[in-house]
This record gives sequence, structure tokens and C-alpha cells, in this order.
Amino acid sequence: MFSLFLKIFKTPDNVVFLSNNEINQKAVLTTLKELESKIKKLFHGSLAIRQIDSGSDNATEQELVALSNSFYDVERFGIHFVASPRHADMLLITGPMTRNMIKAVKRAYEATPSPKVVVTVGDDAENGGIWQGSYAVSDGVSNILPVHYHIPGDPPSPTVILSSLLKILQIVESKTLKS
Amino acid sequence: MLTFITSPASFLIIPTLFIIAGLGSLFFRKNDHLANLWISTTAMLASLWGLIFSLSFILFGQELVFSLAPTSFPLLSLSFHIDLLAGFFVFIISLISIFCSLYGLGYLTHFYKKYNIAVFGFFFNFFLGSLFLVVTASNAIFFLIAWEIMSVASYFMVVYDRHDKSNIKAGLLYLIMTYVGTAFIILAFLLLYKYTNSFEFAEIKNQLALVPNYIKDLVFAFALIGFGTKAGIIPLHIWLPDAHPAAPTQVSAIMSGVMIKSGIYMMIRLFMDILQPIPLWWGVTILVIGIISSLLGVLYALTEHDIKRLLAYHSIENIGIILLGLGSALIFYTLNLPELALLGLIASLFHTANHAIFKSLLFLSAGSVINAMHTRNMEEYGGLIKYMPQTALFFLIGSMAISALPPFNGFFSEWLIFQTLFQGIMELNSAWHLIFIVAVGSLALTGGLALACFVKAFGAIFLARPRSAEVLHAKESPLSMRLAMGGLALMAIIFGLFSGTVIIILEKIGTSLSAFSNVTSLLTVSASQKITIMPDFGTVSAPVIFITLGALVLIILFLVKSVIYKKQTVKIGRTWDCGNDLNPRMEITATGFARSIVVIFKSILKPSLQQKIEYHDADSRFLQKSHTITMQMGDVYYTFFYNPLYKIVNALSLRVRTIQNGNINAYISYIFGALIVALFSVL
Repeated sequence: MFSLFLKIFKTPDNVVFLSNNEINQKAVLTTLKELESKIKKLFHGSLAIRQIDSGSDNATEQELVALSNSFYDVERFGIHFVASPRHADMLLITGPMTRNMIKAVKRAYEATPSPKVVVTVGDDAENGGIWQGSYAVSDGVSNILPVHYHIPGDPPSPTVILSSLLKILQIVESKTLKS
Repeated sequence: MLTFITSPASFLIIPTLFIIAGLGSLFFRKNDHLANLWISTTAMLASLWGLIFSLSFILFGQELVFSLAPTSFPLLSLSFHIDLLAGFFVFIISLISIFCSLYGLGYLTHFYKKYNIAVFGFFFNFFLGSLFLVVTASNAIFFLIAWEIMSVASYFMVVYDRHDKSNIKAGLLYLIMTYVGTAFIILAFLLLYKYTNSFEFAEIKNQLALVPNYIKDLVFAFALIGFGTKAGIIPLHIWLPDAHPAAPTQVSAIMSGVMIKSGIYMMIRLFMDILQPIPLWWGVTILVIGIISSLLGVLYALTEHDIKRLLAYHSIENIGIILLGLGSALIFYTLNLPELALLGLIASLFHTANHAIFKSLLFLSAGSVINAMHTRNMEEYGGLIKYMPQTALFFLIGSMAISALPPFNGFFSEWLIFQTLFQGIMELNSAWHLIFIVAVGSLALTGGLALACFVKAFGAIFLARPRSAEVLHAKESPLSMRLAMGGLALMAIIFGLFSGTVIIILEKIGTSLSAFSNVTSLLTVSASQKITIMPDFGTVSAPVIFITLGALVLIILFLVKSVIYKKQTVKIGRTWDCGNDLNPRMEITATGFARSIVVIFKSILKPSLQQKIEYHDADSRFLQKSHTITMQMGDVYYTFFYNPLYKIVNALSLRVRTIQNGNINAYISYIFGALIVALFSVL
């Protein structure tokens, strides 16, 4: 319990900022190509993501769903969403941290095998967004878990999410993944 | 010393001890604890003496023929004939009784203050004593007396837990069925008496030439119905799944393990020994009954979630397997293939002993679970392995033995039965070998289904999470019960590991029958317990299986430890449950597990599904308050056999009632008529 607090305290919140150039629609394909080589190198060919809804309004989920459609089609680059945190390399948490989900989110974090990356998507997940200060939420996910990276936007578009993932992978590469 | 042990006097000690034990227990009516001690120790002593007697008799003894002081009835003689076959059954009975009596020491304590233990002891000891007489009596009337003591004593133990209404009903059904059976047995013996003019078995055998063939066929049919009712062949089995669960556990174990074998014993005695030579269709009938009983028995067992009823249905299945061996033995013998017949007989005798061991082991461990849980419904168990680890181990050994998994004893006897049936396919080239193909198929299917059934039973009872709060209070059984179960589990292993030695002894027993007096056996057993069927038909070796399995387990453990876990650190966390709490409703139930198989066989089992839904608001029907699903099996025997029979008997009785009209004048006229008829016939 205490070690988790310590970890939360020690883990810096890294917000991933992108320039407009990086969000260019045409850049999607090149982004994905770069992503593919990174994933091959870092995760032996596939990055398994478990998405957790900690109380989201579903906007972010829609964008995440778009990642799997034929336009973006992340599966071809080895990114796939898995059904159990036991299979996951990365936890993707969306929505403000509602009190009802605290226990479940913590359990999912514990169930994910190390090394793991925790990423929050959307402004709600960062600090509670428009629900900030409500009695029903404990604001951002970073109050509960050690969040490594944050993808801003309300909600971020699929391209942004993809580009951010690439950037995260670039940063992760230079650090150790042990956490 | 040895001459004394194998003498008639030594045998008579056994029933005498049981009578003393039974009557003596009545002196302890006031004190439950003393009564329990008395019952268990005396019954154990008597059975121990039976074990010593039968072991030394089988190994060194001579055939014993003796009778007690002549009685005042000319046809009844208290005569005994103990040959090796009877000695073998005495061995089985005493072996199982020792452990069951020991088990009773701990088990009976929960009847204290509720029921009278002394009364139980009276019936228990008479029951055991009568079992010894049934297999050794050589006079039909004496045999029937012993048979009746056995039936009545067991009836009183079936209804011992009399506060439960269903037990009374089960007891009544048992009593009716057993008397119907006995009636047929009496008819069979009376028919034999009419032609041979004797009730002595030896005399009947000598005078058999006097019996016409159609009478012999009739005797066969009556004996098959009579002894088949006791053995629990389908469709005469209906008492068995009701009566066995009703009795106290150690009695269930003896009834299922030993008592139904008395029917098998008499079938072997009559068809293999006394009534030889026999026509071919007798053997075929028994084989077909074996096929039906084994398959249907295990199918009904799969549908059960009452643990004791499940085991009772498995008894029917195993009786079927024994009859497969016996039936093929009879067919081979009639077709003049005595070597193969001997093989079949050895196989069925071996399975008889094995079934006695593992079935009583299973019943005793089931009783241990019931004692802790106070219910027989498997759906309310779950996770008991944490609370009763030793019972779980013993139940697992029993389940593996009954599912015929090596290296336990059940594997070797089923292997022998398979070999016998294969021999039948190979040796016979008429249409008869088709029936052997069907028999092999059904035995294989039976084995698979039995395995599925025990995966279900063990999983539902001992694995996963507790399904009711009662489990949390469960405690391991007292020492005496664990000792009894452990002893039987050890026997299951010994009979498996030393199956070669057992087969040598069974061969000796088989050849001691006059039918096989100069037959060379097909079986050879090497010094390392390797069993071979000549000429190189099949080979099995218990030690090799033991060593291979042991080595495999060790190698796998070693590989896992040194190769797979070498670079990995093991972290123990909670089970991933999607963020919820794990609860027993997530587990698969026994009924759910069996359902897929039930659906496959639904034309036979006739399952029916009833749903009952209760809503919070009956008008809107959105929110369910409760949802009950009841799955039931249609009882084909009642609808197609027993109910029509009951209707016929009832209608006939109504007709007969017109004669007994309550009018005294009519009765006088009957007497008058009878008198005139009598006078005419005399004059």
C-alpha cells in the first residue's frame, strides 16, 4: 500500500505535446511505419494494450475504437487491444477517476505483469476535467496510480493518440521499462 | 495352527462372533458410546478372523464340506460348502467389513442421542454375519434363510435414519424389490427341487440330468431376475439408488461394495458350476444385460448431483462391467473355449474385488464429506480440499481407481475384461462376434463417461470456492474414519501394484471349479508382475506403469523448475476477476458440467427443463426477483415398465376382490365347493 503511494509520488506526470506538423493526417502512415519498427524492437513484435474505463463519458472510447477501423488499422502494426490486463504491456485509462472504479482500477494495475506502462488518455483522466472536485470522483487517475504518460485532448483524435504512442515509445526506449 | 485356521470350526467362529456381537450390543442400550465401542471392536475382530481364515484358506486350504447338527426339518440342513470361490468372497466381505467397522467408530458419533446405537449394532452385526453365511451355505433353504436375514437386516439399516420421510420410502421400495427377487429365487429352487428332489447344491448338481431343458431355461430366467434384483441390473435396479444413500455410510459401503456381489456370487455358482452345461443364449443374455447396465448406469450417474446416489449408480455400472466378463466367460465355455472362459471369469472376479475396494472407499469418503456438510447435494460443496485435505486425497484415489486410471486396481481388471472381449472378437467368426464388438465399444464409452463423471464429482466437491457457508465450518474427520479410508486407499494401490500376484491367486480359484479342473490358463505372470495373455496377445505390467508415471512426473517437475522457471521470478497475486470479487456463482456447477453430455444422450435420459421466473413487478416484467431453473430426468423405467406393471397388478387385484366379498354365506359355499373338489380328487 505504502509502496504504491511512494510510486505515485515519485512518478512524474509526463504530458505528451505534439506539434501541428505531427498531427497531419498524411503523417499517419509514416507514423505507423515508424511505430511498427519501434514495437518490433521493444515488445518483440506486438504491443498489447488493455483499456480501462475509469468513468469516462465514452468520447475517448469512440476515438480508441476508430484506431481499429480500416483507416487506421493499428492491428497491422502489432498494436492490439487485449481483454485481460494479464496479457497487457500498457494500461490505457480513460475518464475521470470515479470512486466506484478505484478498487477495480487498482486491481487491474496489480494484475498487469511488469514491466508496464500506464497511460491516461483525455483531459478527464488527467485531472477530472469538468468533473473536477465532484464528490463522485477523485479527480485524476494519477491520484490513484503511478501514471507514466498522459495524452491530452478532449477527446484526442486517433491520429493524436497514435502519434503520442509513438512518442511514448521513443521516450520509453531511452529509459528502462522497469517499474 | 494352520490346520486349525482352515478347519470348519475356525470358519464357524466368524458367524458365532457376529451373533455374540449383535446380541451383546443390546446390553448397551443405555450408553451410546459403549455400544459404539462394542459394535465396532467386535465386528472388526470377527472380520479380522474372517480375513485370516479366508487368506490362509485360499492359499493353503482344502475344500471344506461340513454340516452342523441335523435339524428337525427334513429338507433344511445347516450344511456348508466352502470352496476357493466361496473363500474368495469371504475374503472380500471380511476385508471391506474391517474397514467399514473401523469407520463406524467415528461415524456413528453423530447419531448419539438421536437414535439408539445398540439397535444399529444388532442389525449391523447380523447383516455382516449373514453375508458370510450366504456365500458358504450349500443348502437352498439354509441359503434362503441367510439371504433373508441379510435383506431384512439391511432394510432396518436403510430406515435407521427414520426421521427423514424419504428414507422410509426408500426402505419400503427396497423391501418390495428384494422380496420380489427372493420370490423368484424360491421359485427357481423349487423347480430344481421338483426334478432333483433335493435342496442340497451338490445333490442338485449331480442330479441335473433329470432336469428337462425348458425347466433349466426357466430356472435361469428366475435366478437371473432374483439375483439380478440384488445385484442391481437394469431395469431391476430402481431400489438401489434410493436405498444405498438412505443407509448410514458404512452400511452403504457394505451394501454397494459387498452385498450386491452376493447376487454375482450366486450367478457364478449357479451358471458356471451347478447348472453346467448351459445353452449359449444364457451367456448372451448376461452379456447384453452387462452392456445395458454398464452404459445406462454411468449415464444416470452423470445426471446425479446427490453424491451418494451418484455412487449408487456407479455400482450398477460396475455390476454391468462384471457381467460383461461373466457373460463372455459363459459364452466361451459353451462354445468349447474353456481357456478363454477362464480368462473371463478371472477378469470378472478381479473386478468384483476391485469394485468392492474402491466403491467402499468412495462411499466412506463421501460419508466423511456428508458428515461435515450435513447435506448430500454436491452443489452445496466446493473448495473442501482446503478443509478436508486427507478425505480429498482418498476420494481422488477412489475416483482414479473407479475411472480405471493406472496405476490403481480398477485399471487392471478393466484391462483384463477388455482383453477377454477382444479375444471374443478374434476367436469367434459367427454372428456372435458382433455382440463382442458392441460390448467392447460400450465398455470403452462407459470408461470415458465414468471418468467425466468423477471429474465432475471431484471438481464439484473439493475444488473451486465454497458454494455454501457450511463449508467454512467443515473439519477433517476423526482418526478412525481417516484410518479406514486410508486402509482402503492402500488396498486400491496394493491390488494395482501386485495385480500379477492377485491374478495368480484368482487363476487358482478359477481352476478349482469343476468346470475348469483341467484347463490351462492363458495368463502368465512374470516375477516382475508382468501379466501376459498367451500367445502374446496383450501385456501389462504394473511396476512398469508405476515407474514410468513416477519418472514422467519427476521429469516434468524438473523441467519446469530448471528450464521454464529459470529466468522468471514468480509473483503471487490475486486471480484476475475483472475487478469484481470472485464468488461461487461464477463456478461451473455439477449439473452444468454434466449438461453437455446429458444433451447428447437426451433420447435416453429424457431431460426436462423447467424455468420459473418471479418478477418484482408482475405487470412490467423488467426486473427479475428470482429465476429458478430445474433440470429433471425422465424416469423411463417407471413410465414404461413399473407403472404399467403396477396398473396390471392393481386391476387384477380388483377382480380378485369380487371373490372376497365379505359375505359369510359365500365363504361357506367356497368351503363346501373346496370340500367336494377335494373329495372327488381323493376318491
